[in-house]
Amino acid sequence: MFTLGEMQLDALAEIFNIGVGRAASSLSLIVNDEVLLTAPEVILVRREQAIKLLLSAELQQFSTVSQTFSGPFEAQALLVFPESNALEIVRLMVGPHMSIEELSEFEQEAMCEIGNIILNACMSSLADIFHISFDSTLPLHRFGNTESLSVFEGNEEQMVLLLQVDMVISQQCIQGHILFLLSVASMSSLLACLDQYLAAQGLS
Amino acid sequence: MAGDLGNANLCTVIDRLEAGVVILDEARRILHCNRWFNLRSGQTADSLGQRPFAEMFPEAAGSRLEQAIEHAIHDHLPSLLSPALHGTLLPLYQTPDDRRREKRMQQLIHVLPLGDDSAARCLIQITDMTANISRERLLRQQTEILRRTTTQDQLTGVANRRQFDERLATEFHKAQRNHHPLGLMIVDLDLFNAYNTHYGRDQGDNCLIEIAAILKNAVRPPFDFVARYGGDEFALILPGSSEKDICRQAENLRLQIATLAMANAASSLAKHLTVSIGTTVMRPEGEANTHTLLSSADVALYQAKRDGRNRAIYFSLEDGSFKLCS
Repeated sequence: MFTLGEMQLDALAEIFNIGVGRAASSLSLIVNDEVLLTAPEVILVRREQAIKLLLSAELQQFSTVSQTFSGPFEAQALLVFPESNALEIVRLMVGPHMSIEELSEFEQEAMCEIGNIILNACMSSLADIFHISFDSTLPLHRFGNTESLSVFEGNEEQMVLLLQVDMVISQQCIQGHILFLLSVASMSSLLACLDQYLAAQGLS
Repeated sequence: MAGDLGNANLCTVIDRLEAGVVILDEARRILHCNRWFNLRSGQTADSLGQRPFAEMFPEAAGSRLEQAIEHAIHDHLPSLLSPALHGTLLPLYQTPDDRRREKRMQQLIHVLPLGDDSAARCLIQITDMTANISRERLLRQQTEILRRTTTQDQLTGVANRRQFDERLATEFHKAQRNHHPLGLMIVDLDLFNAYNTHYGRDQGDNCLIEIAAILKNAVRPPFDFVARYGGDEFALILPGSSEKDICRQAENLRLQIATLAMANAASSLAKHLTVSIGTTVMRPEGEANTHTLLSSADVALYQAKRDGRNRAIYFSLEDGSFKLCS
């Protein structure tokens, strides 16, 4: 199984922070107000550990936006917010307070776009720095409990790059997570890209 | 698959689509747009052909749409622009009349990469969401009305009995959990049937509206809660109240309603409309339930009526005694 060194984790954190930074400026442009996004830390965990980490966030109802990226390696990317946090984002970005039952296609699409912006930004940052290119599916938004999340399905061994994201809109901080699910083969391709990049920087 | 259809056929298919299609080349110039898009944008294929998209649609410049086009051409990544966040981004109209009135259609825009193999690099697909959005708006309004009618008393605007029952249960559990006292007050209009018979139902209704307004003003939202409990009865849930507080509040309310001096020629008690109030405070512990709390306030109200009405009575759950509020 893989473990990542401090240097590798720092590099990934930096790359993803460039991504979420770009996403924040896109979001700011949309809402005409400052939106801040930071992903202070990246960790690499097994799928089972990712489940535990998400569950420890107390609430078990989630909003997820997912996209599958393919290229030199494949990754299923998910932006996960506890349901109440997702409602808060929708409220701050779209309009008045609504309960989950009232959330129509209209707001779900908004959530979908927000996820699309953040996930695309992370992956294109990775692509820019590694000089590679990805294809992707369109984003899909779901509400559900942990059991309905695809991250918890399947027998294949998968690694998860897990980032906590802090989103600040209108002085409110809203926490969520970004997950990149990678197969063992994809993980080693990503590491190869990362090591190549670090070597090119004279850092390996 | 494309081989089976042939290129000419595919073009016809794209042209007949009930969605907007715009295809851009690497230099972000319009390679092709379909008939749907021409009709809704009011631009002919000739006027748009080979022109930079941003020049033809200046509203896209600096917008998320421009970023999405960059993402598609540069990074090969697809984007979605939701109507909730962008709505009427492009100047597209369902009819010429809408164009005159500047009534743009609500748009859902997908921006998709087409790869590096041909001149066509980016597909912009636009779906008209106007009908969906107005339907959702209508549904939301109806939900709001429905919610109000199922939880509010139509006449007085305070909560109805159903919402009262739910709220009482919630507050009861809260008090139980936090070991806090919970106060309850029932306000009953004295001889209201006689009032209605004498002055007519419309006047009676006005009277209920006025009293509901007094009660609403007297409580501290969001903690306290007023509901119409029955025909001529209101109930107040007062979390955290002590015996002393609730007695003072009950007596104040009784006096306040009396000073309204709503003439009541049908009353044998006074020249104006009066109320009787039953009140109690409970510290819900162990096996206690809302029924005990409700019946205690009821017992107090019954006592107030038996003692001659136009008074507020407190019932102590601790020693089973009654006390005239002052």
